[in-house]
Amino acid sequence: MNGAGIERQGTRGAGVLGFFGVAVLLTCSVTTACAGGPSMSDPRTMTFKPVEFTPPEPNRVVLDNGMVVYLLEDHELPLITVTATMKTGTWLDPADKIGLASLTGALMRTGGGGGLTPEQVDEELEHFAGDVSVSIGHESGSASLDVLKKDLKRGLQIFSGLLRTPAFEPARVEIAKLQALEGIRRRQDNPGSVVGREFMKLLYGPEHPSARETSIASISGITRADLAAFHRNTIHPNGIILGVTGDFKTADMLAALREVFGDWAKGAVPELKIADVPESQSATPAIRFVDKETSQTHMRVGHLTIRENDPDYVALAIANDILGGSSFRSRLFNDVRTKRGLAYSVGSRLMAGVHDQGVWLMRAETKLVSTQEVVSRFIANIERMRTELVTDQELAEAKEAYVNSFVFSFSSPSAIVSRLVELENDGLPKDFLQQVREKVVKLTKEDVLAAAKKHLHPDRLKIIAVGSGDALPKVLSTFGEVKEIKLSPEG
Amino acid sequence: MKTRSSLRLRFRLKENGRETRWWRPAFCIAVILGFSLNLDLVFAEGPSLADRVIEHKLANGLTVLMVERHQTPVVSINITFGVGGVNEQVGQTGLAHLYEHMAFKGTRTVGTKDFDKEKLTLDELSRVGTLLDQRQRELAKKSSAVTPDEQAALDALQKQVTDLQAQAGQYVVGNEMALLYQRHGGVGLNASTGKDLTRYTINLPANRLPVWAAIEADRMANPVLREFYKERGVVMEERRLRNDDSPNGLLFETFTSAAFRAHPYGVPTIGWGSDILSLTPAATEAFFKTYYGPNNATIALVGDINPKEVIVLIERTFGKIPAASATPEIMTVEPEQRGERRVEVEFDAEPIVAIGYHKPGLGHPDDDVFDVIDEILTDGLTSRLQTILVREKRLAASVGSDANYPGVRAPNLFILTATPLAPHTTVEVEAAIYAELERLKTEPVPAKELQKIVNNLDADLVRALRSNSGLASQLALFQTVAGDWRHVLKSRDRIAAVTPADIQRIARQYFTKSNRTVGTLVKHAREKNLTAGNEVAR
Repeated sequence: MNGAGIERQGTRGAGVLGFFGVAVLLTCSVTTACAGGPSMSDPRTMTFKPVEFTPPEPNRVVLDNGMVVYLLEDHELPLITVTATMKTGTWLDPADKIGLASLTGALMRTGGGGGLTPEQVDEELEHFAGDVSVSIGHESGSASLDVLKKDLKRGLQIFSGLLRTPAFEPARVEIAKLQALEGIRRRQDNPGSVVGREFMKLLYGPEHPSARETSIASISGITRADLAAFHRNTIHPNGIILGVTGDFKTADMLAALREVFGDWAKGAVPELKIADVPESQSATPAIRFVDKETSQTHMRVGHLTIRENDPDYVALAIANDILGGSSFRSRLFNDVRTKRGLAYSVGSRLMAGVHDQGVWLMRAETKLVSTQEVVSRFIANIERMRTELVTDQELAEAKEAYVNSFVFSFSSPSAIVSRLVELENDGLPKDFLQQVREKVVKLTKEDVLAAAKKHLHPDRLKIIAVGSGDALPKVLSTFGEVKEIKLSPEG
Repeated sequence: MKTRSSLRLRFRLKENGRETRWWRPAFCIAVILGFSLNLDLVFAEGPSLADRVIEHKLANGLTVLMVERHQTPVVSINITFGVGGVNEQVGQTGLAHLYEHMAFKGTRTVGTKDFDKEKLTLDELSRVGTLLDQRQRELAKKSSAVTPDEQAALDALQKQVTDLQAQAGQYVVGNEMALLYQRHGGVGLNASTGKDLTRYTINLPANRLPVWAAIEADRMANPVLREFYKERGVVMEERRLRNDDSPNGLLFETFTSAAFRAHPYGVPTIGWGSDILSLTPAATEAFFKTYYGPNNATIALVGDINPKEVIVLIERTFGKIPAASATPEIMTVEPEQRGERRVEVEFDAEPIVAIGYHKPGLGHPDDDVFDVIDEILTDGLTSRLQTILVREKRLAASVGSDANYPGVRAPNLFILTATPLAPHTTVEVEAAIYAELERLKTEPVPAKELQKIVNNLDADLVRALRSNSGLASQLALFQTVAGDWRHVLKSRDRIAAVTPADIQRIARQYFTKSNRTVGTLVKHAREKNLTAGNEVAR
């Protein structure tokens, strides 16, 4: 939901973030002067006053056991939402039990808990239309409770029971494992899924925590005791940040939270550490193809990149925005889609996390006969980013889109709270995004060029394409030596 | 397939072979909101929705619906036209969707440096491009080899088209409309085409409404079909992505066309490949003139607005657009199905099954009962198919259903889909689903199960109001498909009034073998046979 393509990727898979903070004063549009009244009819010359908006400030409270709580009252509708961000993650999976964290998350939701059987949990929640979710992702876990105000008390009891004392009921464990195995069986069905996963393995290496995959053996070896131990060892109140929004009074809510979470004892919270990929591996270009019968070539092209706390992050983010991150405004969209008509979904993306090395990539799907042209345009557009200054207009438009869409970062109390939760979870300052904004406003063409030169590497590109095994390798070989990735028959 | 968090009672607009959009965010899956509303409960502590919606109708027939919400200085706008795949003629499938793409190409002012000069080139390009399409089709049909003379003539035409495109390109300001929206802080710019509807969406800082009105009134009156052949190529890539390379996409395309033999609901919204490649600028322009009049449109605005000012703004801009003639009526009614239809799709993917039963569309009293059955069968972890097929018998990895597939206005299908859990087969899954449908006929549904459905409906109605864009979408949707957004206000009560006897009657009447279509995705890696079709570079 951000007009400019700068996004945060704190927890991998998390959504696009904008800004939070106190008063938002949008500056006068960058390419047009504020002086003079708006033209009445031509949208190209209209100007407006900046949007003034002071978003509400959530409360931050720390319970005695270290659990952090952000609260923001919102009395428009009789609803309450509680989210929990947990310092756990699939990066903790033991090498022989890949899939353990994610199964643990699934079973915390479906396996019963807090003294209730799975059937009791499901029946009761669904009868009063309460929504509960729990999942564990790469760098963190997340859970949520969404209830009508009248059901808060019971909802919190069930929710806290699932988080604190999940039952991991054996039949549900078995079903979840069967479903995970079915997922393995089906994960090569869609070329988009194949190309995305193989690209990550090519970047990080197949054993790296950010790319490794489940297998029939790894899932089959996971026991109920493993799940219980993973929960016991990684999920502690002092590793959890709650975000609470909705129709409540803060003092009452804190009392209710203390009642269900207050006597949960502290534990040793895992410290998130993910190893970097050796330079020798990340600096080496590679071209790979996967033979699958498709009507298009499904492509990813890119390399590992900087983290979000790198001093060059903002300049690189704007370079990426202009190159391919901002959809219709971007060069790749205009070149590959609008002018050439070669792809429906085309663009670039910068996923710069805090804990893990970032990923920068370009993507498109195009028919076989235009594959070579699209890859050539990708490379030509990177070269142009690295050798020419962006135009004044491009930079001004990127800044303007960023600043003017700012207000959407506060579009709801839950958006405001979840931003603060994610920043704290990632160890970033509360005003991190305001700092980003200030840097965006000050950015020069020279900064953008310098960042592109330093961080976009045509000589390090990893190219992966899924498509016809007969014709595709020949097309790709014009860009370097091509090797085939054979998909595992097990899925 | 369906989870609690995606519970939607009525008119879920699933993307599954149902809608195609102008732009897919390159890395996120677009979520289409669908829900219904109810009133008293929703604003129990404030005025009801019925009191909050402000309606205004312009003399040219344009309908405007507004709801004020002042929490944040933003506004969500949804423009919905009563046109979609059902309005296409044989041989021109995909036209509604192609027009939706072309609607982003600008107008006589936005997107061009000099429209008068550009127009001359565009007219010539349209003429030569249509001729080239025609020649290519003729040559493709020839039984003998293409002669050197024929090839030379074709190459000459192709060169002419290429030159004209380059000439026209000199006048183009690429994606200027989208750029304007982005510069003013717009987010979520998109459009989607379905069977019955075509929708255009944007969210803006509230004080930028004049930009929106200027752009949208201009494109409702003066769109220019520039970069036509390139966009046709984009749509072909979209078709490959969504339908040809997607196991689910291809299964649903085939299944739906088997279920409907006469009604245009059977045609894929994105169009058949050969049709897309034959669409012309002239046909697209004619389609616009027929279906895009203000009298066929509803605009819903929800957010930080002053309705009086909005009405003045809209009158001053959209008010100048003349009404179009009434849109042509759709005559075709799907004849009664007289026997089960079964289709298979071979694909390099694990099996999926889709089952559909013909049923009435919007406004028929039986329609509401299917919504209840939909919830009983697949909504939530405690739903019947989830409990029996997924957990108890462990036959399926996932199950789902939809009570209004693939459109809502005309008689449509109640569908069920499932992915078998290996080693179980689609045959076993089908049998288990039929057993549950039989149970609906013989055993009255317990009151507690029905109460759960009403409770969830009520909660969803409240949750629906969290989002400006969701509310705008719903108001415009019901106004367009039912002719009155208030239609939704009655749906909750109708659903709450459904009895166990109603469910038994409906199940007996409609869930019969002869009224059924079954589509199965069968794993099969075909011989390598890769072609780009007849498509040539443009």
